[in-house]
Amino acid sequence: MGKSKAKEKKQQIILPPELPPEISEDEIEVSDEDLEFVDENRDYAGFVSRLDTESITKQVTRVEGVNEDTLEELYEKRRRRTLQRKENEKGVVKVDPVDALPVKTLDGELYYRTFLQGPKEAENDEKDDDVGSADKSIIKLTKAERRAKLKKIKKEAKKQGKELAKPEEVQQTKQEAVLAEVKEDLTAEDAFESKKHKLAEIGMALLADPEANIKSLKEMLQICKDGDPSIVKLGLLSLLAVFKDIIPGYRIRLPTEKELEMKVSKEVKKMRYYESTLLSAYKVYLQRLIALEKQSIFHHVAVRCICTLLDAIPHFNFRENLLDAVVRNIGSSDDVIRRLCCTTIKSLFVNEGKHGGEATVEAVRLIADQVKVHNCDLHPDSVEVFMSLSFDEDLGKSEAAEEDNKVKNKKNKKRKDTKESRQLQESDRKKRKKELMTKMKEEVAADYKAVAFTSDATEQRRMQSETLSAVFETYFRILRHTMQLTVASSEENTSTTPEASRAHPLLAPCLNGLGKFSHLIDLDYIGDLMKYLKKLASGGSNDNSSQNLKILTVSERLRCCIVAFKVMRINLDALNVDLQEFFVQLYNLILEYRPGRDEGEVLAEALKIMLCDDRQHDMQKAAAFVKRLATFSLSFGSAESMAALVTVRHLLQKNVKCRNLLENDAGGGSVSGSIAKYQPYATDPNLSGALASVLWEVNLLSRHYHPTVSTIASSISTMNTAQNQVFLSTTPQQAFMKLSLEQEAFNPTSDMRKSNSKRKRGNVSSTSSSIEPISIDGNEVNKKLREHFILLHDIKENERLRTELDRTKQSLQSYEEYKKQKSGKPRRTKADQVRKAKNKK
Amino acid sequence: MRPLDEKETTAVFEKLFKFTGNNLKNIVENPSHEGPDPNPGRYCFRLQKNKVYYVSESLVKRATNISREKLVSLGTCIGKFTHGGSFHLTIQCLSLLAGNAKHKVWLKPTSEMSFLYGNHVLKGGLGRITESIAPGDGVVVFSMSDVPLGFGIAAKSTQDCRKLDPNGIVVLHQADIGEYLRMEDEL
Repeated sequence: MGKSKAKEKKQQIILPPELPPEISEDEIEVSDEDLEFVDENRDYAGFVSRLDTESITKQVTRVEGVNEDTLEELYEKRRRRTLQRKENEKGVVKVDPVDALPVKTLDGELYYRTFLQGPKEAENDEKDDDVGSADKSIIKLTKAERRAKLKKIKKEAKKQGKELAKPEEVQQTKQEAVLAEVKEDLTAEDAFESKKHKLAEIGMALLADPEANIKSLKEMLQICKDGDPSIVKLGLLSLLAVFKDIIPGYRIRLPTEKELEMKVSKEVKKMRYYESTLLSAYKVYLQRLIALEKQSIFHHVAVRCICTLLDAIPHFNFRENLLDAVVRNIGSSDDVIRRLCCTTIKSLFVNEGKHGGEATVEAVRLIADQVKVHNCDLHPDSVEVFMSLSFDEDLGKSEAAEEDNKVKNKKNKKRKDTKESRQLQESDRKKRKKELMTKMKEEVAADYKAVAFTSDATEQRRMQSETLSAVFETYFRILRHTMQLTVASSEENTSTTPEASRAHPLLAPCLNGLGKFSHLIDLDYIGDLMKYLKKLASGGSNDNSSQNLKILTVSERLRCCIVAFKVMRINLDALNVDLQEFFVQLYNLILEYRPGRDEGEVLAEALKIMLCDDRQHDMQKAAAFVKRLATFSLSFGSAESMAALVTVRHLLQKNVKCRNLLENDAGGGSVSGSIAKYQPYATDPNLSGALASVLWEVNLLSRHYHPTVSTIASSISTMNTAQNQVFLSTTPQQAFMKLSLEQEAFNPTSDMRKSNSKRKRGNVSSTSSSIEPISIDGNEVNKKLREHFILLHDIKENERLRTELDRTKQSLQSYEEYKKQKSGKPRRTKADQVRKAKNKK
Repeated sequence: MRPLDEKETTAVFEKLFKFTGNNLKNIVENPSHEGPDPNPGRYCFRLQKNKVYYVSESLVKRATNISREKLVSLGTCIGKFTHGGSFHLTIQCLSLLAGNAKHKVWLKPTSEMSFLYGNHVLKGGLGRITESIAPGDGVVVFSMSDVPLGFGIAAKSTQDCRKLDPNGIVVLHQADIGEYLRMEDEL
């Protein structure tokens, strides 16, 4: 207990065996205060009346053991007195929740009845003291003395007119005691109800006037330690609401020893007291929260409280603890908690103004540690949050600019100096004054800076770069970990696809993040990054000859390629680097793509970034891709084939020589290169010899069931002859999105594009006529048929319902007519009608 | 004319490997459609008066009819052994390398001529470069329109190239198609 500690302290302080004479003076003063106190609490006055001040003073000076006890007691009392007085001064009075109405004294001052706590403790103390005194049995007051004392007390009381309310209060405390007893008898439910009310009342009071009622925070904290979990939950939540509201917009710094010693005004004292109480209560609350967070019953509530606090007041003290708790739960398996934590962290990242960015750095670093500790085995959401980070675009570049500024400033300064030197002689005094002023200004500025949250640009940059390094550290850790994993599992030869996708949950968000922040990666890391990405894109099967071992999914590997391209595009724009290996990967991945399993959007993005955005391509490579994409679009749904065809068109537009593919001349003529024959299974696009082939797929596709696909296919096939064709520049992504949205609504028209087949050009291969009609994806057909039949079914159902409706209407009408004819009870009919209508419904 | 001995084979293959990497396999296994035989034969390497030739099997068979002194050339010359015993690639092997090159560099049109006069490739003349080139790798030089111009040895890695100043050497010149004019007699 704090009190006993305080006692001990006091004992230690006032231990000297021979007490200085001043103490006796003090003592007298104290006795006066005692009288006041006694007057206040008449219940305990009996004990005081039994005391003999003289003997006490004797004890103080003479007997050592007793001396200590009594002295201590006196000090204790004096302290309590002062405390109480202070409370009165501040108006910080404990409100009795049972009877919250204040009492108005004659002076017009409002007094809230103090709650039992203080007196109770006093009682305890006094009891102790009683025992002590009984044990020692040194003094017993005579009756006369006692009476005299009482009289004196009464006189004192009369003198202090202010204290009129006190007797009532004594009564109050009696009532309290009784009430408390009754309360114990109440059923648990009632107790629950009353506690609820109490919580509500305290909370309301706190919100209404936090400065006055700051002490009741402790009470609420007490309630939070209740045995009943639901009460605890309520307590936690109401405290949350209170704290959220009353916590100031600045960080509280407790005054130092030196500052405490300084004399301060009442206001400041009050403020200090308020702040320290708030802070300590908050601390206790947080400790409680963090303790409860580990228990499964309170887990949800505690996490919710922590998250809300962090979201609302990230600037306040003990933010680190909050952050720690939130980040610990960010990878939680519980969906609700995880989402809560994620949104909190995200809002922390987004609203950096609230905390000046410091919390961001801390959070990112904590997450990085978390990833490290868990060995990259976390929920993807925990890394996903990095996506909402934002950095200044010129994070890397601005340092140089700043140096320039510095140089300029120096020049400016020099110029100023020379100017000043001229004026210097004019007035020395003025200068001194000016210096003083500037000094003052500097001091003020420094103070302001310490207090204000708006940190200067350099600080901001430092924090951002720190954040960035932590983020990239995490990303690299994930990449490295995934790579080790793939290598290990490919060595073991045991991995299966579903298992693998579970093994590295963080890869997808990591790749996304790398793509987003690729422009901020330092050049020194790019080499390593590309190495990793290359390994990952090849799916770990690069070294091993076993080609069927695919540890990563196609989407993930495609993402790797995309990220590599993004990184290269942004950082090496001065130097045009040809990412040969990634093209090889893409070339092979196109074959492995399956519409249902893999994400079409990723494929479309890869096509866009790798094939459409790149300025130049090898002729061979471009031809190989054209050929493969055309083949690919034959066998997949309209959305995928549309994306592929858009890419094909783009490639053919850019590479004029590749249009030889459109000629009806197998062998490719002069441009075919060293490989004389098309090798469809070649893994390297450069060695596939695609230029030697003919793009017959386009002709087939021009009879595609989907009008958009057939249009673009025929436009490609006529590219060579039509000179000035203007194409709308759509990206593969747009095309994919458009058709995949359309897919649901689209029903193939029954007349299968007769006109299209007539549009065949003479120069396009004649082989098309011999080939069987368009190959359509089985799933596609199934789907369309199902849609068709569902539609038919719906129409029939609709008709049936409509006839039923008509029949009911008719019967209703006839019924009405019948009623009109009767016309005896018009009211009744109406009621019936209503009922009938209801039935119909 | 004789097949290469083991030491010579290693020398030749090492040199080719520098340029083609794993594509060396394609060079060796490339089917030849020469001669009357309907089944495609193979290509092989033959040494004739210090020069190494890349010849189809059917041609080798027919070339045996000519005595060693009288035989001037056969197939494609890809390089020669110096007196010191080291192997140098010559410009004639360019088509072979270009088809299977692992590392490529594309030159800007303005710097093409400079390279064709026998100069090194400078950073400023670089139009495009494949990634992950390490110093010492063999690099095939192309024009922007994908015409092979020659080959050389990389002086800097791709990463270093970025920081290089425009006058820094990226590829050390070894051979270029200008040699067909400049050194007509030697070839």
